[in-house]
Amino acid sequence: MPNVQAIWRGVDRHLVSLGAAILVLALVLCVVAPGFASVTTLYDMALALLPLLILALGLMFVLLVAAIDLSITATVAMTSVIAASLITRNGGYLSGELGIVIAFVSFILVGALIGLANGAMAAYVRMPSFMATLGTYLLLGGAAVWYTSLHTSSSSIAGLPGAFSVVGRGSVGPFPIALLIAAAVTVLAWLLVNRTAFGRWLAAVGSGQEAARVAGVPVQFTILGAFVICGVCAGVASIILTARIETGSPVLASNMLLDVVGAAVIGGVSLYGGVGKIGGVILGVLLLTMLDVGLRLMGMSLFAVLTVKGLVIVLAAAIDGLRNRMARR
Amino acid sequence: MVNRRNFTLGTLAAAVAGAAAGSWSLGALAQGGEGRVVALLFDSLQSPFWVSSNRILKQKIEEKGWSFLEAVSSLDDAKQFDQVKSMLSRNVDGIVIIQTDANAVIPAIREANAANVPMVHFMRPPAESDAKSITIVADNRTLAGDVANFVVEEARRLGGLKACVLVGDLGDANSIERRDGFLDVVSAHGDVVEVVSTIPTEWDPDKAFSGLTNALQANPDINCIFTPSDFLLPQIEQALKIAGKWVVRDEEGHVVLAGFDGDEGAYQRLRDGFLDVCGVQNLFLGVDLAIASFEQVWAGSEPEATQMARGFVIDYKNMAERETEMWGYHVLNG
Repeated sequence: MPNVQAIWRGVDRHLVSLGAAILVLALVLCVVAPGFASVTTLYDMALALLPLLILALGLMFVLLVAAIDLSITATVAMTSVIAASLITRNGGYLSGELGIVIAFVSFILVGALIGLANGAMAAYVRMPSFMATLGTYLLLGGAAVWYTSLHTSSSSIAGLPGAFSVVGRGSVGPFPIALLIAAAVTVLAWLLVNRTAFGRWLAAVGSGQEAARVAGVPVQFTILGAFVICGVCAGVASIILTARIETGSPVLASNMLLDVVGAAVIGGVSLYGGVGKIGGVILGVLLLTMLDVGLRLMGMSLFAVLTVKGLVIVLAAAIDGLRNRMARR
Repeated sequence: MVNRRNFTLGTLAAAVAGAAAGSWSLGALAQGGEGRVVALLFDSLQSPFWVSSNRILKQKIEEKGWSFLEAVSSLDDAKQFDQVKSMLSRNVDGIVIIQTDANAVIPAIREANAANVPMVHFMRPPAESDAKSITIVADNRTLAGDVANFVVEEARRLGGLKACVLVGDLGDANSIERRDGFLDVVSAHGDVVEVVSTIPTEWDPDKAFSGLTNALQANPDINCIFTPSDFLLPQIEQALKIAGKWVVRDEEGHVVLAGFDGDEGAYQRLRDGFLDVCGVQNLFLGVDLAIASFEQVWAGSEPEATQMARGFVIDYKNMAERETEMWGYHVLNG
């Protein structure tokens, strides 16, 4: 007979608790939120959470090294307008299938370059990451609007080809393309964190840079890499968001920052670095999205939804703070 | 004994219990209402025009014996797209939408088309596309032109004006039409009205305030301002006060002020002698047209795709006769 106590000791209690919380919330919403327990709603919810999941996974890498990237949503907007300007039917620089492929690459490349700049400021210039990325956030926010104004008299770049927009709503067999992209990002992130030396370096740097340096960890390279991965994730999320609204927008995802940080923190990624699991981030995203969709289905106003979500995020951050304090005792 | 494990489990259990209890009670409040259900999807409620639109739409819907569900996207196009899908999942019979971006709303219209649910764009038209919806729109260009005609008259009376033109968000067709309607007329009368400054506000009050403050410093001889929405009037008033130009009509230093919308702030300033003219949007007619459009679609007929809610110009000369037609008058006087 298996030793139940031994199994229980091996279980991540935070994930189990979070899973239980999600289960209870789902049961409650099935009863009180009209339409929540329908295949359409659950399908829509699963699709809606994918960009948030990719962004939260990206941010997890930066949080693991005890830094933060506040420019992640501005990176989404910047990649959106640059890629859209390449392929718009209203005077885009490129056309045809090759143009769309180049646009996909540009999402990733621009995201990576922004991540590289953020990482360089944090790792080599040794700027506090919140200050460096706050600056980048403002810079990118303005630059995205300016760049858009160079390409259209409107406030967004429309006329994206159907072959691109299909990423937002199309499917391969029974699987939505966006879901396949998110699944690929999740698997890659899991492999990076759990099966590579880089993953161990992330945890080591987040737990203490000096100790990591003494142990031979390339601290600066690790921080740089975390920011680049975060930028790439922003580019990938931007692909899905841009394709979904068929428009390159300089304000895309501008209201998502709290959700991204919140989902990661609810998922158990420590704001103090060194702690975080892919499974936790997935559950954090799921909990936050369920709250959002469920409360909206109940007819609650945006302000009430924001209040409830804010409370949950504050609670999660408080738990993180107290757990960190207890761990240090 | 309190350890990390018990602390985490206890806190999460308490959070879930609290959220469940809160959700339960709020859910009970959100229920109710029989017959047709209309979704009201606003992108923000930051100006009196949209707050009043929201209120009048709800009143009319309730008068019809229908019920409503509402959501505000906080200027987030992707979120509004999700809200449309949520409302369709809840089997609403019609959607009134005020989108942020004319282009980004097109996929949402397609979703509504696929679900066979009529969508009405209230006072903010979408970009042209193959997706089908109904647009209730003010005659922005004509109305802004009529406001400009009054400004030209005043310019002739006063011996010429130097104007500053505020512009809304360039992604909003209303902004562009109001700008073009005003500029079309004044540029044809360049002998009496000279536009010395144009300020893009993106519907952001802070940008309007800083832009106007800078313009007044760079061009101290500005003596006429056109705003494409009355919700920017408090910022204009503040900028003019700082410049020492907040002066009532017919007194030395008065700046001819032209507004658009017809909200309670505009009514108050018109009455007090600071605002000279205003293009009033016919909010009541717009709501009636939206309601009638739903009824036509549900009855199996096809309403016109674009319907004009014609507005009118109110100025200090005709104010006594027309003030009761101004929706801002009713907001201020209950």
